[in-house]
Amino acid sequence: MIVIKNSSLRNVLRIIIPFIIMPLVVLIGAIFLNEKRHLFISLGLVFLSLIFFVSGVEKKNLGTRRLVMVSVMTALCVVGRFIPFFQPITAITVITAIYLGGESGFLVGASSAFLSNFYFGQGPWTPFQMLAWGLVGLIAGHLSNPLLKRKWLLILYGILAGVLYSFIMDVWSTLWYNGSFNFDLYKVSLMTAIPHTAIYSISNFIFLYICADPIGKKLSRIKTKYGI
Amino acid sequence: MEILKTENLTFTYAGKKQPTIKNVSVNVNLGEFITICGATGSGKSTFLKLLKKEILPLGEKSGDVFFEGESLNTISDLKSASHIGYVMQRPEQQIVTDKVWHELAFGLENLNVPKNVISRKIAEMASYFGIEDWFDKSVDTLSGGQKQMLNLASVMVMNPKLLILDEPTSQLDPIASSDFLSTLKKINRDLGVTVIIAEHNLEELLTFSDKLMVFNEGEVLFFDSPENVIQKLSESSPFINYLPTPARIYKLSEVNGKCPLTVREGREFIKQNLKNNDVDLFVKDINTSKTKDVFLEFKNVYFRYSIELPDVLRDLNLKIFRNEIFCILGGNGSGKSTLFSVASNLEKPYSGHVKVKGKKLKEYTNQSLYKNCIAFLPQDVQSVFLSDSVSEEISEESISRFNLESLKDMNPYDLSGGEQQQVAIAKVLESNPQILLLDEPTKGIDKASILKVIEIIKDLKKSGKTVVIVTHDLEFASNVADRCALLFRGTIQSVENSKDFFCENNFYTTVENKMTRDYLSGIVTFDDLKNVFEIK
Amino acid sequence: MFCGDGIIYLISFLGALSLYLFRNGINNPKTHLSSFLFFLILTIINPLVSHNGVTVLFVINNSPITLEALIYGFFASILIISVLYWFRTFSQIMTSDKLLYIFDRFSPKLALIISMSLRYIPLFGRQIKKINQCVKALGSYNEENVIDKAKLYLKTFSAMVTWTIENGIITAESMDARGYGVGKRSRYSNYFFSFPDVIFILLTFVLFMFSVFLIRNKSFEFYPSFSVSFSDESIIGYVLYGIIAFVPLFIEVKEELKWKYLKLKI
Repeated sequence: MIVIKNSSLRNVLRIIIPFIIMPLVVLIGAIFLNEKRHLFISLGLVFLSLIFFVSGVEKKNLGTRRLVMVSVMTALCVVGRFIPFFQPITAITVITAIYLGGESGFLVGASSAFLSNFYFGQGPWTPFQMLAWGLVGLIAGHLSNPLLKRKWLLILYGILAGVLYSFIMDVWSTLWYNGSFNFDLYKVSLMTAIPHTAIYSISNFIFLYICADPIGKKLSRIKTKYGI
Repeated sequence: MEILKTENLTFTYAGKKQPTIKNVSVNVNLGEFITICGATGSGKSTFLKLLKKEILPLGEKSGDVFFEGESLNTISDLKSASHIGYVMQRPEQQIVTDKVWHELAFGLENLNVPKNVISRKIAEMASYFGIEDWFDKSVDTLSGGQKQMLNLASVMVMNPKLLILDEPTSQLDPIASSDFLSTLKKINRDLGVTVIIAEHNLEELLTFSDKLMVFNEGEVLFFDSPENVIQKLSESSPFINYLPTPARIYKLSEVNGKCPLTVREGREFIKQNLKNNDVDLFVKDINTSKTKDVFLEFKNVYFRYSIELPDVLRDLNLKIFRNEIFCILGGNGSGKSTLFSVASNLEKPYSGHVKVKGKKLKEYTNQSLYKNCIAFLPQDVQSVFLSDSVSEEISEESISRFNLESLKDMNPYDLSGGEQQQVAIAKVLESNPQILLLDEPTKGIDKASILKVIEIIKDLKKSGKTVVIVTHDLEFASNVADRCALLFRGTIQSVENSKDFFCENNFYTTVENKMTRDYLSGIVTFDDLKNVFEIK
Repeated sequence: MFCGDGIIYLISFLGALSLYLFRNGINNPKTHLSSFLFFLILTIINPLVSHNGVTVLFVINNSPITLEALIYGFFASILIISVLYWFRTFSQIMTSDKLLYIFDRFSPKLALIISMSLRYIPLFGRQIKKINQCVKALGSYNEENVIDKAKLYLKTFSAMVTWTIENGIITAESMDARGYGVGKRSRYSNYFFSFPDVIFILLTFVLFMFSVFLIRNKSFEFYPSFSVSFSDESIIGYVLYGIIAFVPLFIEVKEELKWKYLKLKI
């Protein structure tokens, strides 16, 4: 990890990782390890993709104000998790992403996952959560135009993001438990997660429905007032 | 040798027609200590921001600023960042990182200073500022005064030649602010750092300022030594209000001779110029209200935030009567703010009880306590703002009642401290309370706004309300209160009529009283002093 | 499961548990009890969903519960519980300062964001309480009514967002004023990676690779029937892995003894 210090190397990594190393890991995994090693491969891939996205963000100059807004939103996510029945991470990540850009969304998602786990338990699932929430933000940032125009699309995205997040994290719990992917186990973990996923999607829905506009208004105001 | 020079500096904010800064040309010499004063909105903050290119506000600038002979337009980023230090108003929000040591290192990290050098510099700075004890702590555990001291230290660690401070003590209590200013003086005297500071409260600052700059509507009215500026000010100038009490009475009494600045000099002045030796303004029981209805009562109240923490309120007994203005004074951590939380039922005492209008708090069910009964304004008035514009915050009626029409469409966060205070008071009055609790209503606002707040409070009394105020500001309390009490370690120490209270205290009293107590009795407010000198 | 080797799991579990117990004693029985319950549940899940194996214990709803699946579940749970215990100790030792030190090399920007957020979290926690009290004291919401209560929370949160965004700008100005973004940044930390640290990490890695090599042949077979066979090589592998798993405990014990001895001299 120390190598990333060097910025030119960071750029090289940006190209090498997705096009050479990631396929290589999958290939090596497929050839040399038997099917029981899915977990290793997935952990490796998650780490690599985190490095890939982070180095992308690292390269881009966000500007101090945007950087501060990202940490403010991150802290809000973490504080919001303490309010009962309130899971604002996805919603806040999405809102930040559409107003301040995909990079900001990625950073809010990834660092909220990392930070809130200080209070809710760090574990091998941390990088998975970082990646999952980071991607929710990054993708929302790229879709910002349609999402900003149509509110129902934004809410739909929020709900889908919640469901998808749950699907991905269940893949991880199955892998963790079993080493390889077992569909029955996956079904069980999906089923047990249904109430949780449902609450999660509903809270995303409510939160985005009510808060997307006001928070967006506040962000836009700051954007014009201070020229972010 | 001059370190800073501005030439015809003019600045207009984006979207505004009138310039905020008009044609300012000043020279600042190396090692000078310069104090800037002026009303809110006079442009002093904007002026300070124009001296630091990193935080230049959005807008149109003409004219130029030279630092060590180099224009700020062409100066290198590195030089501007390290040689010009900037400290702002709010201690809490300026801190960037989570640990004290990291905050100290932050500026040096930005300048790409090697690790071992950083290590030495922050050790040096921590020793100089006496912050070794909290070096490893989270910034969250520090008090407001400590936070502001940390902000100063983390700027000083970059070894600036010019230090700019925008109302750095406005959010601090008197003791912390006095500490801060004496550190600033030490920096100026010991290290020869040039200091430019904007402040509302000049009481202490003028005694060691080399020059005083007076701003009015974007222009520099005066820029000279404090003595000369005071001489030049006309008697009718609104800036008289900004001067320290001794200087103010000197100015108004139109006596010739040296202008007194400190309390000691003020005493000398009183002794020499006393016109009417036998004034005795000491009248007992001047403000007794005839009806002694107890409106708010604390009975043997004990409170602590959690089991393992110490008592914040212990055996607190207090009676506040109907239609009086009651001030509670006390140092930091004496439990003043907690007292309000308990009075408004937001925190519950573990022993004893609170009665409002003769009814215990728990008998007020279903929010009835907050309707037509009690209202509470916190220290950080921004906490009561819930909407994006003043007209959404408060009703039309309140807007016209408090003459806030000009602010109607503005975002509460764009208002000045004094305006925010007024809107916030208007907002908590919407529930038509009979008892109003105000927590530090004069914190961080300028003299003119303080006068406005005093006026509002007195009007409230006239309309039959009971007002309870918690404050550090002795001048303010002496001007507004009917009765005062001292809160010390969670208990009420003395409850007296305002005048008796200040006359009998030796330390905890107003400057006017300190200046005159050896020769006269019963002088507490500036108006009393004016009476002695027969000034209208 | 990581490698399908039950002995490795047991060693790892013992290493993690003993380290945690040494550091914390047994003064928090709740944690241990909940881990044990978690362990039981995980063990039972596997035979309920996986019906591989030949030794049928009993039949529920026409699906056979096999001994092999139960054993498999047992070992899988041991692994998960041991990871939980490792991470418990990890969270205690790796404070935010140390994690940030490592993060800083990985991504300075992310590290700064995390450091700033860590500073904001307690601040916001307090502010949200303040705003909540203010909104309550304004008397517009009735707490006994669920919808009003939800409205109160939302109002509070929305006001909180405004407060944080507006005040965040001050932080940004303070950063700019102190030269953030002027050019290349250096990094200062309270922690340093010393030469012995690097050697230690390298040694651990080499040991790990060796043990992986030595136990490459499977000693455990779960399905269709459970069987265990150890080779000499794999036994050496277990010993090497045991060293890795217990080194943290050795270090803790050594430091504790050293400190006891030094205390005698004070």
